[in-house]
Amino acid sequence: MSTFEVEVFQNEYLPSGGTEVNAIVTVSSAGFAGTGEAPDAAEIVIVDSSGSMDVPRAKMHAARDATAVAIDCIRDGVLFGVIAGNEKVSHVYPPGGGLEPASERTRTAAKQAAGKLRAGGGTSIGKWLGAANDAFAAAPGRVCHAILLTDGANEHETREQLEATLAVCEGRFQCDCRGVGTDWQVSELRRIASVLLGSVDIIADPAAMAADFRAMTEAAMGKTTGSVSLRVWTPQGARVQFIRQVAPTIEELTDRATASKPLTADYPTGSWGEESRDYHLCIEVPPREAGGEMLAGRIGLLHGDEVLSQGLIKAVWTNDHQLSTQISHQVAHYTGQAELAECIQEGLDARKAGDNATATFKLGRAVQLAAQSGNDDTMKLLAAVVDVEDPATGTVRLRNQITDVDEMALDTRSTRTVRVGPGA
Amino acid sequence: MTVTCPSGHSSATSDYCDQCGAPIGAVATPQQPTVELSILEDADTSPSEVRDPCPVCGAPRSGDDRYCEGCGHDFLAPPAPMTGWEAVVSADRSQFERLRPDDITFPGEYRERRFALDAPLMRIGRRRGRLDEPVLEIDLAGAPEDPGISRLHAVLERRLDGGYAIRDLGSTNGTMVNDDPAPLGRDTAVPLADGDRIRIGAWTTIIVRSR
Repeated sequence: MSTFEVEVFQNEYLPSGGTEVNAIVTVSSAGFAGTGEAPDAAEIVIVDSSGSMDVPRAKMHAARDATAVAIDCIRDGVLFGVIAGNEKVSHVYPPGGGLEPASERTRTAAKQAAGKLRAGGGTSIGKWLGAANDAFAAAPGRVCHAILLTDGANEHETREQLEATLAVCEGRFQCDCRGVGTDWQVSELRRIASVLLGSVDIIADPAAMAADFRAMTEAAMGKTTGSVSLRVWTPQGARVQFIRQVAPTIEELTDRATASKPLTADYPTGSWGEESRDYHLCIEVPPREAGGEMLAGRIGLLHGDEVLSQGLIKAVWTNDHQLSTQISHQVAHYTGQAELAECIQEGLDARKAGDNATATFKLGRAVQLAAQSGNDDTMKLLAAVVDVEDPATGTVRLRNQITDVDEMALDTRSTRTVRVGPGA
Repeated sequence: MTVTCPSGHSSATSDYCDQCGAPIGAVATPQQPTVELSILEDADTSPSEVRDPCPVCGAPRSGDDRYCEGCGHDFLAPPAPMTGWEAVVSADRSQFERLRPDDITFPGEYRERRFALDAPLMRIGRRRGRLDEPVLEIDLAGAPEDPGISRLHAVLERRLDGGYAIRDLGSTNGTMVNDDPAPLGRDTAVPLADGDRIRIGAWTTIIVRSR
């Protein structure tokens, strides 16, 4: 099991009568304490085998190759399976459904079976996820992870059917989602990845698929502690206004609380390997006069029934404007990163709706924020959609020709943040 | 082992009270609890009585609970004051024509920006987004951007009556209210009435009004 460290960054001073406490909480996990294997995992690769995967043929080729690469990364002893989906589900490996422990023999058999994958039929993503969930039922207590690859929208079942399946799968396994080509829906895959605590990304070029599958599988094999929650205590009369993961990506957690006891809420964070994530908490506290002091929040890492590590968020009221108007570097930075993601979303939505004035303003502001915070990756993606005249003031012009790939890449990657730079 | 906090709660944590968050060992600050406890005694606390569910989270509430089991909402807390003030930012051509600043052009299109006045201090300025800058409640950065606004220009301060006063924070180009051409002195807070206009920069006008 991992060891966790919690660090809190905040300005605890509030003006007299102030009610809003902000803090950035950095959670670092040292990964597996020992160096041994971590076979307590289960892995399923879900490959879209709908008819469109053959247009162009490179997609199905790449999917077969990438699945083989993923299988090769699965460690001995890890339970695994491969599922292919169109409007139905077929169990590629093991052929009877369920999971097999990885070994030289089973990996070879699975790769042979994956090599025979053929495209045809429709797309019912909910059914694929449901089948994965059934298979994971044979691996209780393990860290369960799936990779979902699709090239199209969920056309052969309703939104409600997909939501119902997601509700069943939530908390059972994590799922990283990948869209290949440009006919899939960013919002749909983002929704799936968000509920199932995974990442979402575009694979614009099928040739890049194998490397991405390798990275995802290796990351999954590195997860040593499953089902970790953030436990947040707030005092009487206080309220968590929002809690969101802000690094490595922005992920809203506010509405995902389960109340464990009065004044305490638990937020799911999935499984952890050797990694570090940042969270932004905004807590509304009852107002006090200058001189008042209060613990505004206690934040801990919950695994099973055990709180592994915790940090304190404080509130101190003062009449000293110098103190109360200071803002923590970390809070300022991630407030900007969240606004950056929001501006990109709103800008792209406005462009789709034909409102070019709003799109230009929002994407201009996004350019300004990306430049200021040194988010170079997002800046490059923005530059494919707008002509940047002056990044300092956010003066941009919308490009006339924007390719679907550029727009979808900006959309899917808009929630990636950079950490607070040196000098902070 | 439990300890007792300054407000009299029994707490399982010994650094801060696990009920109200007060530092253990501090002297009780004269706050609402004493008043509210007397309300609690007056209230009908018969357990059989069915009360309305929690207005915040909808969890059912039994008669004698002060705090919601679902979300910790304080049923006896006074309802949040509805300040109901907002600041509406727009570009004012007559102001621009009067000042005629060099090298600055009046924006061709300016979309009105609205800010709800929902904090005790609403700082006005133009962030560059650098890490050592304060976050601004009213950030007027972003195109079209008025270059005459200082980074930290002025602040709207909530008054005891729920209204707001404006205070210049040492801006380069000053802060004016309504048609008075004289900029506000440093450290002078001017109370605002519904509909008052704050003028800053080359063309920015902020109308403060009650909603």
